[in-house]
Amino acid sequence: MRRVIDDAEAIARARGGDLDAYGVLVARYTLRAHRAAFLLGAGEESDDVVQEAFVKAFRHLSRFRVGESFGPWLLRIVANEAKNVTRSRRRRAALVLRLPSVESSGAAAGGPADEVLAAERRARLVAAVNALPDRERQVLVCRYFLDLSEAETARVLAWPLGSVKSRTSRALNRLRGLLVPGEQNRVSSG
Amino acid sequence: MVESELRAAGHAIEVPPPSDPTAAVRRRLEGQAARRRHGPAWWAGILRRPVWRAVLVVVVAFLAVLVATPQGRAVIVHVFRLAGVELRQGPGPAHSRGNAALPGERQMSLEQARHQVSFPILVPAALGRPGEVVVSDRGRVVSLFWRRTPYGLVRMDEFAGHLDHVYFEKFVHWSNVTKVAVNGTRGMWIKGPQELVYITRSGVPAMASARLTTGNTLIWGTRQVALRLEGNLGKTPALAIARSAH
Repeated sequence: MRRVIDDAEAIARARGGDLDAYGVLVARYTLRAHRAAFLLGAGEESDDVVQEAFVKAFRHLSRFRVGESFGPWLLRIVANEAKNVTRSRRRRAALVLRLPSVESSGAAAGGPADEVLAAERRARLVAAVNALPDRERQVLVCRYFLDLSEAETARVLAWPLGSVKSRTSRALNRLRGLLVPGEQNRVSSG
Repeated sequence: MVESELRAAGHAIEVPPPSDPTAAVRRRLEGQAARRRHGPAWWAGILRRPVWRAVLVVVVAFLAVLVATPQGRAVIVHVFRLAGVELRQGPGPAHSRGNAALPGERQMSLEQARHQVSFPILVPAALGRPGEVVVSDRGRVVSLFWRRTPYGLVRMDEFAGHLDHVYFEKFVHWSNVTKVAVNGTRGMWIKGPQELVYITRSGVPAMASARLTTGNTLIWGTRQVALRLEGNLGKTPALAIARSAH
């Protein structure tokens, strides 16, 4: 016997006070919510942000519109909570790149020079994102790190769609500007 | 393109695994709900007792058999990703007994297999030539089998997991997982049988592949291939076998 409970049913039941059904949603969206909290700058407090967001989301379920998708709705609450913690400690946690899972000391190597260049460029890109003004960093995190559409980003950040578009293009331009100087001789290979 | 570079960088950003908020959220909601039929989170207290925790994992795994769905996979406690294997603490999928298979398994010689896959097939000198070689899912995975070793049946799966796609999902209990180093790269040693499911190219779990592993498992990667070694062997011999793979 297999019992499928989709988001809509879980939400409907959770609205009626069914905490088991809400538990399904919590389990289903924890990873996404946590990733969003972390990337939006909550850092070590991401777990707290996620917990707070789930508690608030449950209390506000009556405002959830049937037919809407739960992810962006929840992420809006997450983004808000993340903003609260970063504001209270006056800084966002910087994003850092994962160390490569395979060290260069491993077995046979393939194109290590290219890889080093790509890794270097990637590290500079992330450093540049870290250095962006709040809103521009937020919009890039939503669009490219969380893979949200423009409309979803507008929903999550509670901005008009036009602001999402303009801030995205401003942020991308700024990144291009930061990456280009001294880059010509490096980029030629890739 | 800055956009595509950003996407790639996003995948490479270190995001620590979340802790499971389910119990805490429930406790807080129950504390406030007018209806407190069950008392305050009776199972949260149980969770703190290690013996019960083990029992709970078993119970949850059993329930998962009843409610497991593709979405149900999202009942996650922790996720750790290494060399194409995603480790999750939590209930695994319903698994068949005995006849689990990867999609499109084809048995062939080691030489034929080398032509079928896009990554180098490593063979551990400590085990010698495998008795059986199986290529699955149109060259995406190669499995080597040794039936007569001092440890009984030993299996080694190799796949291009260094490309950061998930090939296998493993449902584990976190206390059974230890980080190890193999030839200077990161690896994971997982004690005890675990539920394992193969993830297809399109990211969907191949339910027919879900099975309970035998013995213990070592997962590690090299620059060109990801490997998992499975068998009834201890950590020391497993690491020795892994180090001899080239």
